[in-house]
Amino acid sequence: MLDMQHIIKVYRTDLVETHALRDFSVTVAEGEFVAVTGPSGSGKTTFLNIAGLLETPDGGRYQLDGDDVGTLGDDARAGIRNQRIGFIFQGFNLIPDLDVFDNVDVPLRYRGFVTRDRRARIERSLELVGLAARMRHLPSQLSGGQQQRVAIARAIAGDPRFLLADEPTGNLDSLMARQIMDLLAEINRQGTTIVLVTHDPELARRAHRNIHVMDGQVTDLKPYAARGAAPDAAVA
Amino acid sequence: MEIRPILSALLRNRTGALLVGLQVAITLAVIANAFFIIASRLEKIRRPTGIDTPNLIFAESEGYAPDYEHAATLSSDLALLKGIAGVVAVTSTNSVPLSGGGSANNYHATPDPKAAPIAGNYFEVNADFIDAYGLTLVAGRAFRAEEFTPVPANNDLPPVLILTETMAKTAFGAEPALGKRLYDENGKSGEVIGIVSDMQGSWLGNTRPGPQDLVFHPNGGFGKTWRYVIRVRPGERDRLLPQIEKALNGSGHGRAIIWVRPHEYWLTRTFRADRRMVVFLSTLVILMTAVTALGIIGLATFQVNARRKQIGTRRALGARRADIVRYFQLENGLLGAGGVVIGALLAYAASGWLTNAFQMPPLPPLYVLASALALLALGQLAVLWPARRAGAIDPAVATRTV
Amino acid sequence: MLGYYLRLAWLSLKRTPAITLLMIGAIALGIGATTTTLTVYHRMSTNPIAQRNDVLRAVTLDNWSADRPWDTDHPDNAPAELTYRDALAIAQGAPASRLVVMRKTSLTAEPGAGRPPFLVVVRLATHDFFPMFDVPFAYGAGWDGKADRDGEPVAVLSKETNGKLFGGENSVGKIVRLDGREYRVIGVLADWQPTPKFYDLNNGEYDTPEDLFLPFALGATLELQPAGNVNCWKPETLAGLRDLFGSECIWHQLWAELRTPAEVERFQSYIDGYVAEQKKLGRFPRRINNRLYTVDEWLARHEVVGRDSRVLLVVSFAFLAVCVLNVVGLLLSRFLGAAGATAIRRALGASRGEIFRQHLVEVGLVGALAGIGGLALGAVGLTALQQLYSSYDRLTQLDLSMTLAAIALAVLAGLLAGLYPAWRICRVQPAGYLKTQ
Ligand SMILES: Nc1ncnc2c1ncn2[C@@H]1O[C@H](COP(=O)(O)OP(=O)(O)OP(=O)(O)O)[C@@H](O)[C@H]1O
Ligand SMILES: [Mg+2]
Repeated sequence: MLDMQHIIKVYRTDLVETHALRDFSVTVAEGEFVAVTGPSGSGKTTFLNIAGLLETPDGGRYQLDGDDVGTLGDDARAGIRNQRIGFIFQGFNLIPDLDVFDNVDVPLRYRGFVTRDRRARIERSLELVGLAARMRHLPSQLSGGQQQRVAIARAIAGDPRFLLADEPTGNLDSLMARQIMDLLAEINRQGTTIVLVTHDPELARRAHRNIHVMDGQVTDLKPYAARGAAPDAAVA
Repeated sequence: MEIRPILSALLRNRTGALLVGLQVAITLAVIANAFFIIASRLEKIRRPTGIDTPNLIFAESEGYAPDYEHAATLSSDLALLKGIAGVVAVTSTNSVPLSGGGSANNYHATPDPKAAPIAGNYFEVNADFIDAYGLTLVAGRAFRAEEFTPVPANNDLPPVLILTETMAKTAFGAEPALGKRLYDENGKSGEVIGIVSDMQGSWLGNTRPGPQDLVFHPNGGFGKTWRYVIRVRPGERDRLLPQIEKALNGSGHGRAIIWVRPHEYWLTRTFRADRRMVVFLSTLVILMTAVTALGIIGLATFQVNARRKQIGTRRALGARRADIVRYFQLENGLLGAGGVVIGALLAYAASGWLTNAFQMPPLPPLYVLASALALLALGQLAVLWPARRAGAIDPAVATRTV
Repeated sequence: MLGYYLRLAWLSLKRTPAITLLMIGAIALGIGATTTTLTVYHRMSTNPIAQRNDVLRAVTLDNWSADRPWDTDHPDNAPAELTYRDALAIAQGAPASRLVVMRKTSLTAEPGAGRPPFLVVVRLATHDFFPMFDVPFAYGAGWDGKADRDGEPVAVLSKETNGKLFGGENSVGKIVRLDGREYRVIGVLADWQPTPKFYDLNNGEYDTPEDLFLPFALGATLELQPAGNVNCWKPETLAGLRDLFGSECIWHQLWAELRTPAEVERFQSYIDGYVAEQKKLGRFPRRINNRLYTVDEWLARHEVVGRDSRVLLVVSFAFLAVCVLNVVGLLLSRFLGAAGATAIRRALGASRGEIFRQHLVEVGLVGALAGIGGLALGAVGLTALQQLYSSYDRLTQLDLSMTLAAIALAVLAGLLAGLYPAWRICRVQPAGYLKTQ
């Protein structure tokens, strides 16, 4: 379970203070598929970054599976990212020097799996995204949709409990976008909690629940008629 | 073009700029001092010897047989050498100029041995020495043949002396030296009867006696080891050298001819350390400037790569190639200027250390200035290639890059 | 993980081969130059008899002029050499485990059989010279105290002289003719090249040792001319060599072997007592200032390391500094240029330590390659220097300790150059870089 209460995030530059998140509270239950929508600059990526322990909040409380993680040290946060969280970035963010196999391998390396285990996981996750045949391709030799699928494979290879995706379909055409959504839905069905940031209401509708962010706050909750688990989300 | 945005861009990449600036600074500090050292060594190597070096041959004879007769050998050798066709003049001598070995004495301008001593590098020669070394008589007269004592009875000063011009000034200042007397520490004295043109003495870079503070004594020595100065006609040295060696070796007298060598042999030996320093320092200077230039190229290349999108956008917005190139040149100029200012301070600090530790003369500002200008020019040259590459960036990258 | 890091480092270096070569070249050049000068410096300043440093003492007595010190730049230094009579008196009376008094002369050797005579530089020394300075023999041995007392005409040849006179064979028992006199060869040295020539630094400190060794007493009985420096301060009339023996001129070297602090103390008080006695006779006009020097102290006192080598050493370290700065700049730009990839790794769970280690491995790889290159360049530099030093070629041989020093230097330079960039890159905040994409 992911639980944020009264989270504050302020960016300070020389000239201005931006309150990216103000009193931001949200809870995501085990196995949920949540879509986050909102206008540009409203704080969606900031929320995801804090949820994924890439950034620390300036205030409020953040619990992951009941543990307070908002104040953990850098190494501890790296460990949680590595073991419990899978990330799909707004850009594809593949490492250009590494081929598909090695890109998926990156988080597994830091996890300390043995070689055989790593190989099995990489093959399984690439199979899932339909790229088993392209293991030795470099990112530059792949199409945008394929690159994004590699990023998904990389995010799920370590069997994370949470999958955080920041506009994974932003750069793709609508057909490709639907395929990616199908994939995410499939992953969610297998038990992974998914938080998806998207601009596309069409895609957002496929989630169990929709969180709308405006000016750094959750403004609205529109549960869509869910196919699966009953949502019991709380709004501050 | 405006300097302020360039400065702020430099400040944003502070570390990179600082590193290149420091490289320039250290390089300047080293090369300014290295150039100075190189220049002074070259000056020393090329300093005239004052004697007819290209046409001089030196020979050493050492008596070993129990019946060896020094005085007889000396006069027979002198006659033998003078008799060789192509030999211009000959003298016996105790030491070889610029060989690093010789004799020095403390002289006094008054009979009082407590008076301040005047150090002099003395050469024991015979009457023909002015011709044999290729000096010129400036005042007074040369030694007469009968004034030469082949084997002196003791180490007292001989009754007549000849000085170099420099020694005359060292001993008597502005007063005319001719007719004055120099005393030794036992109160014995000799009269100054002649002044000859300057020549380099036994030791280079000595202070007491100075390198040209020479006194000539009309003596043979008491030892069994003696040397000859043989001046030959121009161009004949290499032909005559083996002939002289053979003639001396074949003349008996119960002595060995230890060596026969051109004067240049000692110059090479004496200046070997200086040549080495020149070669070594020049190599380091070249390598160092090369590395610094590569550092500038490296940094600029990375700057260009990091700003590809920005440069493309500028180009798309109407900047000309030349504007982009100038931007990088100006940036490098600012960096170089900063480095050069710090470098000048470092150069003087280094020069201070050299002065303190090794009594080197202080660094003339000209060397710092010239080195600084050279480094700035080098920087401009080095940055040209990456800057031109930046200028060649396609405006389309602005729209294509994610 | 090391294997993984090595593979990443290799990938990264391969990506920009020109910059990689530049970095390796820069450090290698710096190390090459530093190794070259360091070797010469080390050779110049190294103690060639370090194993006996603590027991050997150079002996100095201050018998210079009342009016001025021996060395106006270092007024506390007593002269480096002794008069004949003081050297002899101390050699005969002083309490020491061993003691050698010596000087230099030159003689003419006649090889006979129609070959031309040649000059040999001769060391006149008492018998302890050989055991005190660990002089190695190929054949025979040195002489004994009796030969010293009786002035026996016996000779020890250097390896080279034995080659010239006897073609290198065992010449013990043969006769060598010097200045018309016959001497019996009793020993031939093995190769012996103490660099610098610590036992007599007065002239030619990097020269090879003398060509031939004779009992010290022969110098006086045969009136052999001095070949080293003779320095005099007192107004004295000197008519020939006889007068020099009785004069206040200094031209002898004296060394003592003192094995315990007590022995050193006893020896010091003996020479101080000796000088005090001499003062009563009107000699030694300066205050009592007799010093004993270990070999290290002796080398330091004589400033054996030339100014030029010290300047070159500083210059080459400055050069190394420039190379290191250069590489820091290149590494920093390269690491930060790939900060995006690092940010992804951090986001995927790499800890700071892991990122730091990954980049340090890359740096280490550069350092190792540069070290190899630097050693090769150093060897080239020394070969080139050989041309410039010619007679001192022993100064320019790369030895094991210098090889190790060069490797250590390479690693150190590589680490110095890499620590900061590696530290900088491991501080990269993942969020910042990901958002900009
Ligand atoms: N590093 C930063 N420094 C300063 N301000 C920042 C920083 N990162 C984000 N912001 C500001 O915080 C606010 C929220 O940014 P965020 O990236 O979360 O928006 P978003 O909802 O993801 O927008 P988009 O849909 O365009 O991606 C914005 O106003 C942005 O300008
Ligand atoms: Mg966003």
